[in-house]
Amino acid sequence: MKKTHIIAIVIIAVAIGVITTSLGNASTYGNFTEAFDNPDSKIQVVGYFNKEKELVYEPEIDPNLMSFYMTDKEGKECKVVLNQSKPQDFERSEEIVLKGKAVGEEFHATDMLMKCPSKYNDGNLQVYTD
Amino acid sequence: MEYIGEHLWAGQLGNLFVIVSFVAALLSTYAYFKSSKETEEHKDSWSDLGRLAFRIHSIGVVGVVGMLFFMLLNNYFEYHYVWQHSSKSLPIRYVFSAFWEGQEGSFILWSFWHVILGNLLIRSAKNWESTVMTVFSSVQIFLTSMILGVVVLDYKLGSNPFTVLLREHPQFQNIPLFSSENYLEKLDGRGLNPLLQNYWMTIHPPTLFLGFASTLVPFAFAIAGLWKRDYQGWIKPVLPWTIFGVMVLGIGILMGGAWAYEALSFGGFWAWDPVENASLVPWITFVGALHVMHVQKTRGNAAPTTFAMTIFTFILVLYSTFLTRSGILGESSVHAFTDLGMYGHLLSYLMFFFALGLTMFFINLKKFPKAEDDAFSSREFWMFVGTLVLALSAIHITIMTSKPVINLIFGTKMALDIGAQERFDIYHSFQIPVVIVITSMIAFTQFLKYKKSDGKAVFRKLAISSLSALIITGLFTFAFDYTNPYYILMLFSAMFAITGNIEYLIRILKGNINKAGSSIAHIGFALIMLGALLSTSKSIVISENSSSIDLESLGDIKNNENILLYQNDTVKLQDYYVTFIGKRKEGVNIFYDVKYMKKIDSDYITEFTLSPRIQLNPQMGNVAEPDTRHFLYKDIYTHVTYAD
Repeated sequence: MKKTHIIAIVIIAVAIGVITTSLGNASTYGNFTEAFDNPDSKIQVVGYFNKEKELVYEPEIDPNLMSFYMTDKEGKECKVVLNQSKPQDFERSEEIVLKGKAVGEEFHATDMLMKCPSKYNDGNLQVYTD
Repeated sequence: MEYIGEHLWAGQLGNLFVIVSFVAALLSTYAYFKSSKETEEHKDSWSDLGRLAFRIHSIGVVGVVGMLFFMLLNNYFEYHYVWQHSSKSLPIRYVFSAFWEGQEGSFILWSFWHVILGNLLIRSAKNWESTVMTVFSSVQIFLTSMILGVVVLDYKLGSNPFTVLLREHPQFQNIPLFSSENYLEKLDGRGLNPLLQNYWMTIHPPTLFLGFASTLVPFAFAIAGLWKRDYQGWIKPVLPWTIFGVMVLGIGILMGGAWAYEALSFGGFWAWDPVENASLVPWITFVGALHVMHVQKTRGNAAPTTFAMTIFTFILVLYSTFLTRSGILGESSVHAFTDLGMYGHLLSYLMFFFALGLTMFFINLKKFPKAEDDAFSSREFWMFVGTLVLALSAIHITIMTSKPVINLIFGTKMALDIGAQERFDIYHSFQIPVVIVITSMIAFTQFLKYKKSDGKAVFRKLAISSLSALIITGLFTFAFDYTNPYYILMLFSAMFAITGNIEYLIRILKGNINKAGSSIAHIGFALIMLGALLSTSKSIVISENSSSIDLESLGDIKNNENILLYQNDTVKLQDYYVTFIGKRKEGVNIFYDVKYMKKIDSDYITEFTLSPRIQLNPQMGNVAEPDTRHFLYKDIYTHVTYAD
């Protein structure tokens, strides 16, 4: 057996160890029901912002806090507290991804990604009469 | 109904160029393939045909590029692609950005670079021409098929910007606008995404795609070498191309970083976004391939590694194409392309060349020359280990970015990370040790000789540079208050790489600039790593939440980088007193002027004013762009997240 082979095997073994651990720590996709069943684990929930219900964002009190209601893909609704400022055009978002965990009756999120229909897809045809 | 003012000829001409380029690529592949198998007497006639076909293919691709530009410049909104990416108000200088914003345009850009490189190869490849160009043309078959847009057995093959009319697009077919025969008079384009109306969008994608395109040259030569069982002869012609490709792809990635820092609101130059990773990974393996090519050239005992790294570099380019264009990343990336439903098509492109590379490699596996064991003190031993570390770095990033693919195969539900901090944790835990190992090797490996070197002599030679690196590291550690051992180690290894290569440049090369290329490149790389370390580890949020509300109820949440500024109200941020003076509107931009002052005695002295802006875009949503004040030793970054 050659030296290079031995070193190669050692390095690869270490790499496999690191990779499997970090894959094991990855947060998972889920829904609100799963989040409330496992209140300690971080879960990413995909859903829709409920435009009917109240959205609270009071930058004069705290610019880094907003709360609103989201319906997940299974149809379960939950109050969300997000520790971020309200993004531009939040009301127009179609689908949102939240990362966080269940705390009591609420879902506390640390990160959010939103998908605006108009920004990434074609949206509606705009006609100008000038 | 006869519509008024449509320019159907333009699309027909463009489509003709598409078909010509596709058919000519098929012919060129076949002719070059025949030529590579023929005996001498028939060889020339087949390779002449292959060359002619590739030239016709080139004319087709150049024609496609020309027609798409023509249509964009003249606002032919009857075409979906033009409507989707341009508008009447779009300044002419952004026509390039509009060209390659969409998938179709960027495929065209990519095959355009292949055409340029292919024509240079025809002139320079000599007796490698037939085999190399067979591979080259076959790649072009796949690339041009991406813009064919024909329906074969109910499956739409590719998306053609010349044949999709807006009024025939499934999304808009039945809208009332098209019942009017002069609908074009009322129509404006949707316009370019405001985020992309930026000069970086003009230069970043073509540089990156030229880098991607230049990975094809070594791949084609590697396949040709395996095919002809010539494991040595392909290295010499391929080296300059590889150096060129590593340089261009590297510059392209750096441009992306500069763009992200300057104009996008990621809050940094590198966010480990899947799309960023997709361009970084092939660069890492490309660098590895370049190093083992040198070993193979000098010692001839690294054939399997050289072939594997070269082939994998190109396969990884195809894999990143698949990741970013097939829609598999979903919402987890900020800048993946819109899904065009080309999943299967892209997968077949990837799988074809993956299978080709793998097959060619394994049928040759037993025939590679047997290599003797490298000595510990030899240069090639450390270059080999370094390449292995680079390969592992690439594998780590690839696996972490491929969670959606892993989910698809194994039915798991792992989520791609959307938070910046989590991404840093995941990637840095592996990649910082990689950087430490790699930069250390950069520091000393050049001092080693091929085959065997005198260990003691090397240690003596390294004394000055290692000592000076140690002293500088000590000073930096003290000045920056570093306690994290990884940071200190990385600081030292990057410093050592710089001092080591400077010493090599002066003492061994005696300043001979013709041989200085590798030393300069190594110093450059180490400086980038050093810069990344200093800027990332010393980034401070000066606008910590100072509001009255208690955030502890939220547990481990600490994302408080936004503060509220009322007009004319002054807030203290560390050394600065910051006032929001007011907003002003210039065109589509609203600038928010924020004055930074310092208090000297009892006077407030204005230091500078930053004007982050929000670009208004009623069609696509508003976009915020930051403003940054650069100092020699720090930057102050200001960004509007929410404004009334």
